[in-house]
Amino acid sequence: MLDMLLPSIVDGLLIGVVYGLVAMGLTLIFGIMNVINLAHGPIIALGMFGVYLLFTNTGVNPYLGLLIVAGGGLIFGVIMYFVAVHRVLNAPHLASLLSTFAVNMIIIGAGTVVFSTNFRNVDFSLGAVTFGPVTTTGARVAAAVVALLVTAALYLFLRRTRLGKNIRAVANNRKSAELMGIPSSRVLAISFGIGAMLAAVSGGLLATIQPFTILSGGVYELKSFVIVVLGGLGNPVGALAGGLILGLIEGIVPVFMKTTWVPVLEFALFVLILLVRPQGLFGARQ
Amino acid sequence: MALLEVHDITSGYGELQILWGIDFAMEQGQLTTLVGSNGAGKTTLLRTIVGQLKPWQGKVFFQGQDVSRLPPYTKAEMGLIMAPEGRQLFTDMSVLENLEMGATPRRARPRQAQNIERVFALFPRLKERMHQRAGTMSGGEQQMLAVARGIMSEPVILIVDEMSLGLAPVLALDLFQALRRLRKEGYTILLVEQNVRMALKVSDYAYVLAKGKVDRSGPSRQVENDQEVRRAYLGI
Repeated sequence: MLDMLLPSIVDGLLIGVVYGLVAMGLTLIFGIMNVINLAHGPIIALGMFGVYLLFTNTGVNPYLGLLIVAGGGLIFGVIMYFVAVHRVLNAPHLASLLSTFAVNMIIIGAGTVVFSTNFRNVDFSLGAVTFGPVTTTGARVAAAVVALLVTAALYLFLRRTRLGKNIRAVANNRKSAELMGIPSSRVLAISFGIGAMLAAVSGGLLATIQPFTILSGGVYELKSFVIVVLGGLGNPVGALAGGLILGLIEGIVPVFMKTTWVPVLEFALFVLILLVRPQGLFGARQ
Repeated sequence: MALLEVHDITSGYGELQILWGIDFAMEQGQLTTLVGSNGAGKTTLLRTIVGQLKPWQGKVFFQGQDVSRLPPYTKAEMGLIMAPEGRQLFTDMSVLENLEMGATPRRARPRQAQNIERVFALFPRLKERMHQRAGTMSGGEQQMLAVARGIMSEPVILIVDEMSLGLAPVLALDLFQALRRLRKEGYTILLVEQNVRMALKVSDYAYVLAKGKVDRSGPSRQVENDQEVRRAYLGI
């Protein structure tokens, strides 16, 4: 059993980093504008299909395809902000929940018509990778590396660039930001675009390691909620930590129990955290 | 035409009218003060000037241009900068980052580094605390930062709202002296204050607001010696 444990932990950590990225867009958008984007899952699914279609139809390398998917996600997010979010930003929470849920239903409906709900997979292999006693797939390692790079880039963007600091300023005090000459609507639109971009990229990465359908985003949206609550809602760095915890649970639990116990434990943890430490293990937005 | 002119402004919130026809003007290089008791409409007038509220009637002219309907960020870009009441800092960001955000208007960016040195010279405390999160500083330090952040924007007019509110008298005095120094350096400042005595002491020209109207205006020395003002605001 112990010789199964180490590979499980490694696999869990690798997928955990990707999970962190999956949840990051959700937590970023909430942290900046207090909106829970219920279209998060379908945007992840669109990212999966983006990479899949680019690869299957035009032969674009999936990792190159991620760049195109990122651009598409950004544009989609900015448009979605002006169509479905901007006007309900100051309304009660229910309004933005409903409007983003409407976008969710539209994507799923249209996606089902166009793609059906059959499973797809990106038929592209990076072979196997071995570190000492542990062997895993190259795709998993690559996905984790890309997810880490994107996380680091996001962190540097928010900390070091003027636009990143403007985003934090608007998140912190929108009125004051406007008094300093920062056009808050434009900044919020870009922030929402970045949140959607992160979701789409994470979907693209997941597509390189697992089969998926247009409905798969929903699964990851649920996981995102668990991760975000673990890491603290609105805290992108906490999302990475939450993702790692979830990845570890998924890696280790099947060694001892049936795999079907994984979601039970995940959501039990979710409820427990909400009861005991609702601000998350690492504190809400930093 | 004066640098800033407000013509016959009426404004308020929802159904509630606060301002009842205000005329107001500010000259380049002067420290003008707007005083009055709580609820006189000072903050409402400011919010209308900077664009957080749209005037119901009347117009705001800045540098000869009608800016009545422009949003705050456009006015900030033009140089109409407010250090808001209650400081309204970016509390989760460092002192330095707050100052950088002050340098958002395009006019102010090329001289960001010089301006940071300048505000550190004016408020040495901020230099000591430059990497500290703004929200963890004392009230007086936060107020210094609010004024400093305004200076970073290279304001054509710097509006300072309720600067001394809630501050110990010694700290308030420091800030009034800082404003005086800025005025000497050539800044045009609009100071809104509930500390009428200090405001009249440091300013060149004063407006007294009461019940949403301009009750009195004139050179500050003159307003200071007005019997009515002395009785109503200075307790003499």
